[in-house]
Amino acid sequence: MASVLASAHPQQTVYGQVGDATVPLRFSSLDEEYKVLRERAAVLDLGGHGLIEITGPDAVAFAQRVLARDVEYLTSDRCMMTLLLDADGQVVDQVLAFGREDGLLLESSCGAGGRLLAHLQANNDEGVEITDRSGDLTVLGLEGPYAWGVVGRLIDAELASLPFESVVDTTWNGADVVFARTGFTGEYGYQMIVPVEHAADLWRQSLEHAQAAGQEALELAMLEVRQPIPRHEVTEGATVVEIGANWLVDVTKDEFVGREAVLAAFEAGGGRRTIGFSGGEGVPAPGTRVWVNGQDIGEVVHAVHSVGLGATLGLARVDHDLAAAGLELTVGGTEVTTLTSPYIVPKSWSIPII
Amino acid sequence: MTIDELRARAAERQQTCSQIKKMIVSRLDLEIDPDWITDDQPLFGRGLELDSLDVLELYVAIEAEFGVALYDSEMAVFGSVSRLAEEVNPALRASA
Repeated sequence: MASVLASAHPQQTVYGQVGDATVPLRFSSLDEEYKVLRERAAVLDLGGHGLIEITGPDAVAFAQRVLARDVEYLTSDRCMMTLLLDADGQVVDQVLAFGREDGLLLESSCGAGGRLLAHLQANNDEGVEITDRSGDLTVLGLEGPYAWGVVGRLIDAELASLPFESVVDTTWNGADVVFARTGFTGEYGYQMIVPVEHAADLWRQSLEHAQAAGQEALELAMLEVRQPIPRHEVTEGATVVEIGANWLVDVTKDEFVGREAVLAAFEAGGGRRTIGFSGGEGVPAPGTRVWVNGQDIGEVVHAVHSVGLGATLGLARVDHDLAAAGLELTVGGTEVTTLTSPYIVPKSWSIPII
Repeated sequence: MTIDELRARAAERQQTCSQIKKMIVSRLDLEIDPDWITDDQPLFGRGLELDSLDVLELYVAIEAEFGVALYDSEMAVFGSVSRLAEEVNPALRASA
C-alpha cells in the first residue's frame, strides 16, 4: 500500500516496503532528518500505520478482551499504547488505541495494518463491527523539541500543551481532525488523523513550519529511547518479558488474550532479556551471536548506526543474568558495551512548552 | 573479565534496580509486582506513566532509602530504573 501523500513528497524520496506498506524511508538524508527530529521539529508521514475502527454495542468489551491494557474507561479524549497478543502470549502488534464515542480506533504499528485487521476479525467472538479506515483516513505526525511551536502555528497553541496521550476532536481548514499528544521518540510528539483528501494540504502546510523526516530517522530516534519497534524486536518465539515490553501489558487486568501465557513466562523467570549496546565496527546483522569468552550468551536483535552517538547502537537478547548495562561483550568479532536506557537524552526533557 | 565476573557485575546493578522498583511500588501504591517493571522502562509519560507529583514523592523516598538528594537533578536521571540506579549507586556508573 503506497502512501496517500506520495504525490506531495519530494521527487528524490526513497521508499521502502515495511510489512504491507510502502513508506518513505528518507526524503533527504538520514543525518539531516535525524538532526531535525532531535533539535527542531519534524513532520512525519505515518500513512504506513493502519487505522481500524471497532464499533457496536460490544465494542469496548471486545477491545478489553483483545488489548493487553485496560481500555474499559478509555474516553474519547484519551489514547494509550498497548499490545495485542495471541493465545500463546506472542506479540501480534503494538497499537495506539483511541477512545471514541461509539467504540475505539486502533492505529497499528508501521506496515502491520493487515495483520492487525486479520487478528481482530479472527477473534471477533462478540460480533462487533470492524472497519478498516486506512483507505479514507491517514496519520501525520509532528515530533521534536519544538514541535509544540508548529502545533501552535498550524492549528491551535492550546493543543500543544495537552497532557500526554490526550485527544481532541478539532478541525483544520474545514476538515475533521483527531489530534493527539503522543510521541515515539521521547521528544514532544503529536499526531493528526485526517481524511485522506485533506492530508496533502496539511502535509504541505506543516512543511512551512517544520522539515520532513522519514521512517529511518524515526526508527533510529525510537531505538535511542528504547521505544519498541515491533518489526525489528518481535522475533519468533520471543515473549513480552524477553522483548522488555512489559509496560505495554497490564497484568493486573483480569482477562485478555495471551494473559496466562505472559504470566507463565514471567513467573518461570530465566530465559533472555533485551539490552542495548554500542561500539564495535560496522553494524551487526540480526542474529549475530553475542559472546563472553567464547561462550554464546545470545544474539543481536536489531542494530543501526546512531547519528546521535556517532557509533553503532543495537539491541541484543542475552541470558537474563547478563542483561545489564556496563558490561563488555563480544558481538561477532568485536567488543561492545551494554548501555543504560535512554541511550540519548531527548532535548525536549529540558525545554518547556511556552 | 570472566563470565562469572560479568555475572557478578550484572547482579550488582540488578540488585540496585530491584531495590528501586520495590521502593517505587511501595511509595506510589502501585498494584504490580516490582519485578514486572523492567530496568530500561521509561518512568514518566510513556512507560510507568508517573507524573510530577510522583517525582516529588520519589525525591523524598530516594533520599530516605539511599541517602541521595536528587532535588536539583535533571529529568534524565528518571529516564529509566537503570539510569536512576547509577544516581543512587555511583559505583555502577564507574563500572559502566
